[in-house]
Amino acid sequence: MNRSLVIVLAALVLGVALFGGSYFAGQRACRMTLANPTDDLAWLRTEFQLSDAEMARIRELHAGYQPRCAEMCAKIAAKKSELEAALNGATNVSPVAQQKLAELAALRAQCQAQMLQHFTEVSRTMPPEQGRRYLAEMQRLTLGFHEQTEQSMSESAGHEHHHE
Amino acid sequence: MKNENTNPEDARLATLLRESRVAPTLPPRFQESVWRRIEEAEAPAKAGGGTGWLESLAALMLRPRFALAAAAVLIVAGALLGAREGGQMAKQDARARYLAAVAPNSLR
Repeated sequence: MNRSLVIVLAALVLGVALFGGSYFAGQRACRMTLANPTDDLAWLRTEFQLSDAEMARIRELHAGYQPRCAEMCAKIAAKKSELEAALNGATNVSPVAQQKLAELAALRAQCQAQMLQHFTEVSRTMPPEQGRRYLAEMQRLTLGFHEQTEQSMSESAGHEHHHE
Repeated sequence: MKNENTNPEDARLATLLRESRVAPTLPPRFQESVWRRIEEAEAPAKAGGGTGWLESLAALMLRPRFALAAAAVLIVAGALLGAREGGQMAKQDARARYLAAVAPNSLR
């Protein structure tokens, strides 16, 4: 092979290795430095530029919300187990299973309402503009998933109808 | 020896020899064609065509100054881009952590 070609190819390989190595080193170092694995609320402070006083109030709200959230989660998990037991081995959706489904949906709705209430309280402790942004962002992140699923399902259903 | 050099016969012979030398006439544009052949012999790659730029590039990469500067630029650019990406990832990690703390997976 031509000597010049070998030199150019070797230089390119070395260049890619240098760039790639420093890219991953920089990425890892920055990710490790900025990560705060002990504080669940660290994102709020940086994203919404909150003061210490605002953060203290939010920590109080968060501490109050956590046990209620855990309690609802435990109730939902128990209801899911009951539903699974009612559906186990059945070839039809029995009235008991329907009842469990309704109870599970009610529990989820209750939990969701509690969660949205918490978001609203937290948003009130922030400066108005940041509060609005926080509330919109949390609603998008927690409720948007369902909307996205429903939208994709309705789109695919419409698509199928269109071809029928 | 001196006697031989001063011999008139030898002098005549030398004159005859000088006169007998023929000074050939050069073909037209002789000098120009000689230089052209010398240049062609010195630059075979150019005459071949195609690989001249590759050799120039290889020669450039072998220069220590260029190699060091290129390596420094690549390292700094890579580290800066990586740090930017790492910052974004750290932000996403923190957001996911908060979300996991306030919104159970069963609701999302």
